[in-house]
Amino acid sequence: MFALLSFSGDALLGCHRSYRSRPTHGIGRFKYLLPKEVPKRKKEKVQMKEISEGTEYQYGDINIQMTSYDVCLVEHFAQYVHRLCNRLSIRVNESYAMPTKTNEVLFLEERGSKMQLDAVLTTHQRVVQIRGLSSTFAPILLEIIQSNQPEGVHLLMKQHTEADFKSRLKSRPELEELLAEMS
Amino acid sequence: MGKKVKVAGVELKDKISSLIYYFPCRAQPKKKKKVDVKKEQAQKERMKKKLKKLEKAAPELIPIEDFITPLKYSESSRMRSLPALSPQESERRVLLLKKWCLFKQKQDEAEKKAIKGLVESQQEALRELRLESEELYQAAVRRDEGLFPFQRDGPTYTPPLPGYDPPEGKCIDITKVYTQ
Repeated sequence: MFALLSFSGDALLGCHRSYRSRPTHGIGRFKYLLPKEVPKRKKEKVQMKEISEGTEYQYGDINIQMTSYDVCLVEHFAQYVHRLCNRLSIRVNESYAMPTKTNEVLFLEERGSKMQLDAVLTTHQRVVQIRGLSSTFAPILLEIIQSNQPEGVHLLMKQHTEADFKSRLKSRPELEELLAEMS
Repeated sequence: MGKKVKVAGVELKDKISSLIYYFPCRAQPKKKKKVDVKKEQAQKERMKKKLKKLEKAAPELIPIEDFITPLKYSESSRMRSLPALSPQESERRVLLLKKWCLFKQKQDEAEKKAIKGLVESQQEALRELRLESEELYQAAVRRDEGLFPFQRDGPTYTPPLPGYDPPEGKCIDITKVYTQ
């Protein structure tokens, strides 16, 4: 008799769990009524992105580094360069700031051997990283950027390397010590 | 009365202490080599564990001081009270702003036009070169390895003074070093 029951009816009825066919099935469900919760984003680990070498007709990752003593000038110039690259449909990988360097300038007094503090200068650097610059367009881009270079802002364009990325990270003396000891 | 001991066919002297002369032994028994090796292994394992733990921690970026507002500027005690502007003054300012916007727009359009012109002339030159010789065209389209790294100092307001004698001095780097 039980075998007859299992073969008659649809799959739900045929299932050995008889309560799934009852009208009260799923009576306690409410989670489908609540708004969807966005899963918490874990802190993204700082990882180096792949450095592309580029082909014969395209340059790989290039860093446009702008250095100056004046923060406003360098910031605005970096923004200008970024917007220019967007407008010329050049892919911008990253646009970041390098850590600020502080220098104390001392000068020797005219009469005397004591060094006097003249000024405390802060050097700021901004980097715009681009990829896939075509070889024919590169000189034009260089020309535009140079013609718009503000006063006192030093421009440097070079290929992106791992060392450049590592210079942004904090130094870990303990790890280095342990590695030196191990080897 | 000392004993006479005959050891290894050699007659020893009277004192028993002379035995030490022939059989040098330590006050403490020497530590077995096995214990040493175990200790070393344990030490190595501890170091490896420490290394793993340190390596697990992801590297952090150095915080940029430019983006951190110093606390003294967030004190609300310093507030500047600006004087009220007369309608003529505000009118003048708005009109000046509009003139400046127009000027900048013209400048930007001129720049875009210049870029377009440059690109077009370059493309035409390449097309002509291609018609002339395929070899030269291929060589021209290749990327220039000597282009990067490229450096240029920004222009200065005034040229350097001739015959300027700067005072002697030095520069000390006092950047804060962050360690993880």
